[in-house]
Amino acid sequence: MPASFLRAQSFLRLCIVLGSAWILSSCGDQPEIRSYEIPSEYTGPVVSWELPEEWGENPDLSGPMAGSFHVKTDLGPMGRIGVMPFRESVSSVDVANMFGMELGQASMDEEKLKKISEIKKIGDREFEWIRISDNGHEGSTRTVLLALYRNKGETWLFPFIGDRDLIREQEKNFESFLASTTLRAGQVEIRAKAPALPPPPAHDSHGAPTWEIPEHWVKTSASSMRLASYEVTDGNNSKLDFSVTSFPGDVGGTLANVNRWLGQIGIDPVQEADLEQYISPIVLDEKEAQLVVAEGETDSLFAAILMVEDRSWFFKLTGNRELAKVEKSNFLSFLESVCFH
Amino acid sequence: MPKDIKSKNKKKSSLGQRRKKFSWLVPLASINLTLTLLSLSMILVFVATLEQVRIGIRGALAEYFESMFGIWHYPEQFWGGEFLNAIPIPIPGGYLLGGLLIVNLTAAYITRFQWTGKKMGIQLIHLGIIMLLVGQLATQAMQEESRMQINKGESSNYIERFHGVELAFSDVTNPDTQRVVTIPQEILEEGGTIRTADLPFKIQVKHFGVNCDFTVTPEGSTRGGLVKDVNRGVGQTANLSISQKEEDFSSEGLNFGYLIFELFDGTNSLGTWLTLAHPGGNHWWKESPKLSDLAFQPIRHEGKLWGVTLRSEREYLPYSIELLDVENEFYQGTEIPFNFESDIVLNMEGNRSRRALVYMNTPLRHGGKTFYQYQMNAAANYTVFQVIRNPSWLVPYIACVLVSIGLLWQFSFHLIRFLRKNSNSAQAA
Repeated sequence: MPASFLRAQSFLRLCIVLGSAWILSSCGDQPEIRSYEIPSEYTGPVVSWELPEEWGENPDLSGPMAGSFHVKTDLGPMGRIGVMPFRESVSSVDVANMFGMELGQASMDEEKLKKISEIKKIGDREFEWIRISDNGHEGSTRTVLLALYRNKGETWLFPFIGDRDLIREQEKNFESFLASTTLRAGQVEIRAKAPALPPPPAHDSHGAPTWEIPEHWVKTSASSMRLASYEVTDGNNSKLDFSVTSFPGDVGGTLANVNRWLGQIGIDPVQEADLEQYISPIVLDEKEAQLVVAEGETDSLFAAILMVEDRSWFFKLTGNRELAKVEKSNFLSFLESVCFH
Repeated sequence: MPKDIKSKNKKKSSLGQRRKKFSWLVPLASINLTLTLLSLSMILVFVATLEQVRIGIRGALAEYFESMFGIWHYPEQFWGGEFLNAIPIPIPGGYLLGGLLIVNLTAAYITRFQWTGKKMGIQLIHLGIIMLLVGQLATQAMQEESRMQINKGESSNYIERFHGVELAFSDVTNPDTQRVVTIPQEILEEGGTIRTADLPFKIQVKHFGVNCDFTVTPEGSTRGGLVKDVNRGVGQTANLSISQKEEDFSSEGLNFGYLIFELFDGTNSLGTWLTLAHPGGNHWWKESPKLSDLAFQPIRHEGKLWGVTLRSEREYLPYSIELLDVENEFYQGTEIPFNFESDIVLNMEGNRSRRALVYMNTPLRHGGKTFYQYQMNAAANYTVFQVIRNPSWLVPYIACVLVSIGLLWQFSFHLIRFLRKNSNSAQAA
């Protein structure tokens, strides 16, 4: 056998030995996702639910709130629904007074509470149903609907705070939401405090601007989320709705908001790249903003979107296409008058 | 020809045949190779000892011993360091030298050693050393170090790794059982979108790191950088900001792993969360009211309550340990510990239980794991065990026994021969 062949064979064997050593040294468990069951070790309360499609979740949970939601509307998120687990039996009068005082109600006693409360059976559970209206602010339609569920000395409170009409409209959703809840008390003590009610619109303005409204625009009642609400009509019963709203954050971003508005006037949603055909830059009170102009077959939309200190401001005029054409210049004049001081 | 010469020649020819058969092993059995490898091992130990000051024990172990080679830079503070520091010097690593030493010793064992009573001791010594090296390699590959913390009066049935984290989702809707889905660090490091049939949502890893600095951003100021998209959970409510940090390998180093992830139900985003892993175990987050939910951030989905946390990699055991009492003693007038002691009950499978005392150098062994007394806080009434799982723990003991027998054999053999020779010469005189 030639010597070179033997040398090659030796080299090959050497490589095998070293390779085996390498493999041995580097072998280990392959990482993998594991799934297993253990006896429950979670000691906190369990509150879970299925959210109605028309509701969205508020990310900022404060204090003892286990959940916080809003109603998705054409005008943006409205109303506030909360989930608050109390680890004790809470008096209904105390809870009602806590919310009632915020709404300018005089202190209630048992007798008065009976008049505004009822027992509602949802699924297998009985909820105490308390409805309180705003008495403290003229023209305000703010309402609080409280649902209280008691079980083994513990109380679960579900406050729904919002405009009267919104609550009426969403009551079925509220009930189906309550029916979907899983409520289990925890072993760790927690105490809930009253949630901060959304302050009246005038105080929710976060450095609200001032503006000049055309004289013929008629003021309509502002809701908890509308800082200003006006209606414009002509002799042909054509209508325009004008609103000023403000929300923390970008409320989903320009594309999502514009697409929602386009849907309201019967225009198909667009991609980011095609957004330019509807929006153009505009300056509001020396701040860069976006002007949205869209004309559908019957309705039109004029709106301005402005971001000030992480807060979105929406000025929106929508309704009859012909009337909107006439009011466009008034809308632009209104925008020029907006001042954040 | 005398009988002993015949037998000697026979053995020599047998060794010759073996060398011929395994000729390819002869270069590997070189004593020069042994000496070179031992010299390189000394350099490796020297360099790693120097580097340990800079990168800590764990860093030095990972860089130089648990690798095929490491890169060393001549220290700047040494003579000529300002010029030489910039030059990267490759140093053969522990796996390379250890592996080659095993090959070298095995080759020598096959090709050089004679199977005679006279050489039996040397063979046993070498066999013991080979076993030591192989055992060390196996230990490196298989040993796992974890900790178990138990509060007094409570019991624990899981251990957590000192290094390595996992993202854990727990479905706690059922009052009796908890379904847990864990995603290990290696998968999180790969990033991208993680889908599993065990979860009703998919996870998009946005940022993951093994260490970070975190601060609560003052109210009113905007969070930027890595956490700018975080809109759910503690990251959002506590207004947390983080900044990436290199892993701290030192023994006192605290590494806070972080993960920013977005959950999707189909194409619908459920939000973006930030989660942090506490190096001492996530139960420590409870000490801080603002951050306590980092141990369990609730996610409600389709009527179920899930909790998510980034935690030290956890292993559940089929048995539990209950801590009855803790005791620590110090040398009189000092704060030097004299004794740490945990009085425990081991609740085993099949409703059996065993009471034991765990203290320094007297660990508890059960189910292939060894529980050493590691830390203790008598004031806070808890104990921490260091838990070692090392399937090859017996190998070094066997190796030491073999080396001892080999040494004893070899010395006894020479001693007896010397004594015999002495007594023969005395008789002759």
